[in-house]
Amino acid sequence: MLATRALSLIGKRAISTSVCVRGGHGVAKVEDYSLPAYFDRREIPLPDVAYVQALTPEQKTLKEKEKGSWAALSNAEKVALYRISFKESFAEMNQATSEWKSVVGGIMFFIGFTGLVVLWQRHYVYGPVPHTFDKEYKEMELQRMLDMRINPVQGFSAKWDYENNQWKK
Amino acid sequence: MAHPSQLGFQDAASPVMEELLHFHDHTLMIVFLISTLVLYIIMAMVTTKLTNKFILDSQEIEIIWTLLPALILILIALPSLRILYLMDEVNDPHLTVKALGHQWYWSYEYTDYNNFGFDSYMVPTQDLTPGQFRLLDVDHRMVIPTESPVRVLITADDVLHSWAVPSLGIKMDAVPGRLNQTAFIVSRPGIYYGQCSEICGANHSFMPIVVEAIPLKHFENWSTLMLENS
Repeated sequence: MLATRALSLIGKRAISTSVCVRGGHGVAKVEDYSLPAYFDRREIPLPDVAYVQALTPEQKTLKEKEKGSWAALSNAEKVALYRISFKESFAEMNQATSEWKSVVGGIMFFIGFTGLVVLWQRHYVYGPVPHTFDKEYKEMELQRMLDMRINPVQGFSAKWDYENNQWKK
Repeated sequence: MAHPSQLGFQDAASPVMEELLHFHDHTLMIVFLISTLVLYIIMAMVTTKLTNKFILDSQEIEIIWTLLPALILILIALPSLRILYLMDEVNDPHLTVKALGHQWYWSYEYTDYNNFGFDSYMVPTQDLTPGQFRLLDVDHRMVIPTESPVRVLITADDVLHSWAVPSLGIKMDAVPGRLNQTAFIVSRPGIYYGQCSEICGANHSFMPIVVEAIPLKHFENWSTLMLENS
């Protein structure tokens, strides 16, 4: 089924093919190298075969009645004829699912789990960071960077107000 | 050196790096435009209700989406080639320095007038004086004069290394048995940091490069001092 659907994307077919050959009880001429199969696709409205191949006696009588005037058919009969040829209506096949909620939930769960793993590692696996990460050391480093005029054009020292000894507003 | 939470390049300290910065801005803008267009098309494809898949023979759009990428590529290639040839221009350097890569330190030789050379080792973390940058500062920096064309001849003593200083826009492989030449002019005085850029063993991350650019008068004082000390 999946192969047919995939092939129907790359197989060459014109819509007119299935329309004009659709003579008796719906088996269309298939131009790509696949057997006729049923599918519900929004962009290919007419599948190769009708949904129901083996008709019950009621359905057979309905099919005979279809050969007459369609105005004589009741709404229920028209729907029954539709359901013989098609499995889902367009509204049904285009329905959104709630699958995205499971996906987002799964993503958040695994990200959270990864966070827990990272916390565990920090506690049980890694040693202490070097002394250069101490607050006082960092302050000395920053002062040295400003004194050296690191990135004075646009980057770092460009944002320091040397006259008033503070960051530029 | 890089500052905390830096996103872009370090500020340029040489004219070539300035050119590279502007070229990067130009190219990145093109890349952002293309990506935005593609993202928009993807969004449109995913949310459309249209279902006609069998359109054939649309010559106009085919011409556009062939010519437009070609034009964009030319717009990227021309500035790129310009900078490439700019970097290779005859530059008549005032000074030549040799940088040799070893496992795991650099050594610099100044042999233009008098011979002197020195090794440049990273300062180990436990030996840092307060305020020195961990993994970046070295015991002896490569000192050069500002606003003078300098030629660096780069080679290695043992395995491949690479001599890189991002704010000067330089990266050149140090290949054993081969002399690679690059040249630069430092526009403003300062200290510029770089790190070895070719995997060379256990301490590859611990052999940084530090270039100190000072005015010519002070440079001559420094080289006299180094000569006396060696």
